[in-house]
Amino acid sequence: MAIVNLENVTYKYPLTDSPALQNINLRVDEGEFVAVVGPNGAGKSTLCYTIAGFVPHFFKGELTGTVEVAGAESSTSSLHEWVLNVGLAFQNPFNQISGAKYTVFEEIAFGLENIGVPRDEMKVRVEEAMKLTGISDLADRSPYSLSGGQQQRVALTSILVMQPKVLVLDEPTSQMDPIGTREVFGVIRTMAERGMTVVMAEHKVEWIANFADRVVALHEGRILLDGKPREVLTSDILLDKGFGISRYTSVARKAKTRGLWTRQQLPVTLEEAAEGFQDV
Amino acid sequence: MSLNRSFFVPLDSPLHRLNPLTKLTFVFAMILPAFLSLPAFAPGMAIPVLIAVFVGGVQRQYRGLLFKLILPTILFMFFMQSVFLPIGETVIFQLGRFDVTLEAMQTAFLTVSRIFVMVSSFAILLLTTHPGELMSDLTRRGLPPQFAYVIISTLQILPQMQAKAQTIISAQRSRGLDTESTFLKRVGAVVPLVGPLVFGSLVEVEERAIAIEARGFTSTRPKTSLHNVPDTNADKIIRWIFLALVILSLGGRIWLS
Amino acid sequence: MNITISNLHFTYPNGVQALRGISLTIEPGEQVGIVGQNGAGKTTLVRHFNGLLQPTSGMVTIGDWDTRKYSVAKLASRVGYVFQNPDEQLFSRDVKTEVAFGPRNLGYSSEQIQSQVNEALAMTELSDKTETNPYDLSPTWRKMVAIASVIAMDTPIVIFDEPTTGQDAANIARIANVIKTLRERGRTVITITHDIDFCAENFERVIAMSQGRILLDGSANEVLGQEDILATTYVDPPQLTRLGKRLRFKKTVRTEEEFLAALRG
Ligand SMILES: Nc1ncnc2c1ncn2[C@@H]1O[C@H](COP(=O)(O)OP(=O)(O)OP(=O)(O)O)[C@@H](O)[C@H]1O
Ligand SMILES: Nc1ncnc2c1ncn2[C@@H]1O[C@H](COP(=O)(O)OP(=O)(O)OP(=O)(O)O)[C@@H](O)[C@H]1O
Ligand SMILES: [Mg+2]
Ligand SMILES: [Mg+2]
Repeated sequence: MAIVNLENVTYKYPLTDSPALQNINLRVDEGEFVAVVGPNGAGKSTLCYTIAGFVPHFFKGELTGTVEVAGAESSTSSLHEWVLNVGLAFQNPFNQISGAKYTVFEEIAFGLENIGVPRDEMKVRVEEAMKLTGISDLADRSPYSLSGGQQQRVALTSILVMQPKVLVLDEPTSQMDPIGTREVFGVIRTMAERGMTVVMAEHKVEWIANFADRVVALHEGRILLDGKPREVLTSDILLDKGFGISRYTSVARKAKTRGLWTRQQLPVTLEEAAEGFQDV
Repeated sequence: MSLNRSFFVPLDSPLHRLNPLTKLTFVFAMILPAFLSLPAFAPGMAIPVLIAVFVGGVQRQYRGLLFKLILPTILFMFFMQSVFLPIGETVIFQLGRFDVTLEAMQTAFLTVSRIFVMVSSFAILLLTTHPGELMSDLTRRGLPPQFAYVIISTLQILPQMQAKAQTIISAQRSRGLDTESTFLKRVGAVVPLVGPLVFGSLVEVEERAIAIEARGFTSTRPKTSLHNVPDTNADKIIRWIFLALVILSLGGRIWLS
Repeated sequence: MNITISNLHFTYPNGVQALRGISLTIEPGEQVGIVGQNGAGKTTLVRHFNGLLQPTSGMVTIGDWDTRKYSVAKLASRVGYVFQNPDEQLFSRDVKTEVAFGPRNLGYSSEQIQSQVNEALAMTELSDKTETNPYDLSPTWRKMVAIASVIAMDTPIVIFDEPTTGQDAANIARIANVIKTLRERGRTVITITHDIDFCAENFERVIAMSQGRILLDGSANEVLGQEDILATTYVDPPQLTRLGKRLRFKKTVRTEEEFLAALRG
C-alpha cells in the first residue's frame, strides 16, 4: 500500500519564475527504499522538503497538487504533527545541531524529549541508534567539536532515533568514509526491511544499485525515469543529461563498442560487471 | 574560544548540584535587593555573589569573564556617568568642560554595583548550570518550551557570537587578511567582521529553527527529559530562604523610608 | 615550494589526540590525495599547513617558513585552503566580493586581481552568479564559490578538503579540470577526499590516514591496491581496481584505460 503519495505536484519557491518541481507523481509503498538521483539543481532537496512537509509549511511559495503521507494531506496538516510521521535529514550536515545540548548523547535524545518518549526507553533507543551509525564512542563529546563525517553521523542518528514511519534522507552519506557509507546503506536497508519507508537523495550509484528497491531520476524538476535500479542507472538517457553513473557501467559501455562486453544489459554493480567480463 | 558555545563548566560542586530553579532564585535574590532596596545594599550584594563563585569552584572561568567582559563594561559606565551626569554641587575635579561631582560619582558607583551584581550572578548561573538542564527543568515546571528555548539561546548568545567571530576571523586570515601584525591592524580587523557576524548569526537562527523543527520541537505532546534534574528538600528550603531575604530587604526599604 | 612535516602531534583542547606523529615531505608541484576514515585527522593535518592550527609538538615548514613563526595571513600567500565546510569559509555579501577578497589581501595589481577573479569564476562556472549572496546558493554551489575564492589567490600550494561532496558529474569534471590546470602550472595540490574513484583518476600520490597516523603513502596504484590495509581505515579500493582484482588481473588498475588495456591482454 502506498504510504507516500504525490499527485501532480508542482512547486515554485517564492520570488522565482520557474518551478523547482513540475508535475511530480510518485507513490512509495510501505517498507520500500527509493533512491532519488539527479544532477545539481534537479530538485532532489525540494522533493525531500515536500515529502517532509517543509514545503509548503516552512518554505512558502506556490504548491499545487496533493502530498499525502499515511493518509494525511500535508497542506491541511501542521508541520509539528507531520514530522512525527516523516523524519528528514537535511543535505547540509553542518547546521543541524539543536544548540540546546552539551553532549552528542543529549543531542540525539533531543528529538525524543520533544515527542515525549519515557526516559528509560529514550536511553535504550539513543544507544542503539548510535551503535547503528558507529558513533557510540562519541557519546560524551561536544556536538561542536567533531569531524565532518562525525557531524553527519550525529545528524543522521538524531533522525533515525525518532523512528519515523517515513525516513527522508537528503544525501546522508556525503561526508562519510567509503566503508562507513556502505554500512549506513546497509543499516537503512535493514530498517526498510523492518517496515520503515525510505526516500533518499543520493549520488553514490554503486550503493544505490546494491541496496535500493527503486530509483527515481529527477531532471529539471521532472521525473525522467522511475524503475528498478539496474534499468534506470544504466539507461542511455541519463548519460546525456549529466547524471552520475557507476564506473562499471561506463567502462562496460566503452568495452561494448570494442566487443569486450557481450551482454545486452550493462552492469551497475561489481558482481554484474565481474560476471559479464568473465564471459569474454 | 569556547568550543561548546556555552559558558557551562562541567564540575561537581555544591552549586552544580543545586536545582537550576534554586540557582535562578539565587540570581533574583541578588538582583532585586541590589536594584530595589536601600542604595547601601547594592555594593554589599557583591559579597554573597563572590562567595558563590568560590562555592561553585569556577573562579578561573569567572576571572576570565570579569577581566574580559564585566570590568571593561562597568569601568566604561562609571566613567561616562561620573563625567556626564549633570547632577550635584560638590565638584571634585574638572575634565575639559565637564565638572565631575561627588554626587555623580556616587550615582555612578551605585549603577555599576548593580550592574556588577546582575551580570555576575547570571554568570554564576551559566557557569554552573547545564543549559539543557535549565531548559528541561523550566519546561517541566510548565514554562512553554518555545519560551524556554528563547531564554536558553539568549543566554548562549555571547559564547555563540564569540565562536562565530572566531570562525570568520580564521576564514579571513586564511585568505590573507592581516589581523595581527600591528595594533592598528587589530583594530581595523573589526570592520570586515561586523557585517558577516550579524548576517551570519541571523542565518544561523533560521537554520537552527528549521533543524529543531525537524526534531519535533514544536510538538504539542507532553515532553520528557533525558536527565532527571533533582529537586531536593534542601533546594526547596534554600529557595524559601532566598524569598524571605528578598521580602525582608524590600520590606526594610519601605519601612526605613 | 616544499612542505615538510616532522613528527607532528596535535591534541585538541578537549583532549582528543588528533595527530600522533606525522612525518611527511611533499615536493613542489606534487598532486597528493589524502584518504581515510572519518575522524582520522585529515582536516586537522591540513589546517597545520596554513597555520590555522599550531603543532602541539613537532614542526611544519612551508618552503623556508616554519609555520610557528609566520601568521596565518602571511602563510596565505603560500597556501590556499578550501575548507571542508563552506559555511565556515564564506562571509561576503556577494560571490564577486568573496572571490576577490583573497587576491586583494595578497597585494596583486588591480589588473591581476581582475583577471585571476574572472578566471576562477569561469573555471567554476560561476560567472553568471557574481551578484548572488553565497548564502542564497545551494550547498553544492557554495562549495564551488569556496573553491573559486581560493584558486583566485594563485598560491603555489592549494589544499582542497572534500571538494566533490554532493557534486554532480559535470561539477566533478570541472573540479578535476581545476586540478589539472593547477598541475600544468606547477602548483602543489593536496586533496582530501572520500571519493576514491575521483582520487584514483586525479592523483598520482595517495596517502591513507588512520587514527592520527599515516598508514600508507605511495603511488596511487601501490596504495589503492592494498585492500586489506585500506579496509582498516574504512576505505574501499576504487571500483575498477576492485573489478580488476575480481577478474584476477595481474596488475592493479585504476582508470578505464588501464582496465581496458588489461582486459585485452
Ligand atoms: N530556497 C530556495 N529559494 C529559491 N530557489 C531555490 C531554493 N532552493 C532551491 N531552489 C532552486 O530550486 C531548484 C532545485 O533545487 P534543489 O536544491 O532542490 O536541487 P538538488 O537536486 O537538491 O540540487 P543539489 O544536488 O545541488 O543539492 C534549483 O533551481 C534551485 O536553484
Ligand atoms: N574543533 C575540535 N575540537 C575537538 N576535537 C576535534 C575538533 N575537530 C575535530 N576533532 C576531533 O579530532 C579528530 C580528527 O578530526 P578531523 O576533523 O581531523 O578528521 P577528518 O579525518 O577530517 O574526518 P572527516 O573525514 O570526518 O572530515 C576526530 O576525532 C574529531 O572528533
Ligand atoms: Mg540538494
Ligand atoms: Mg575532515
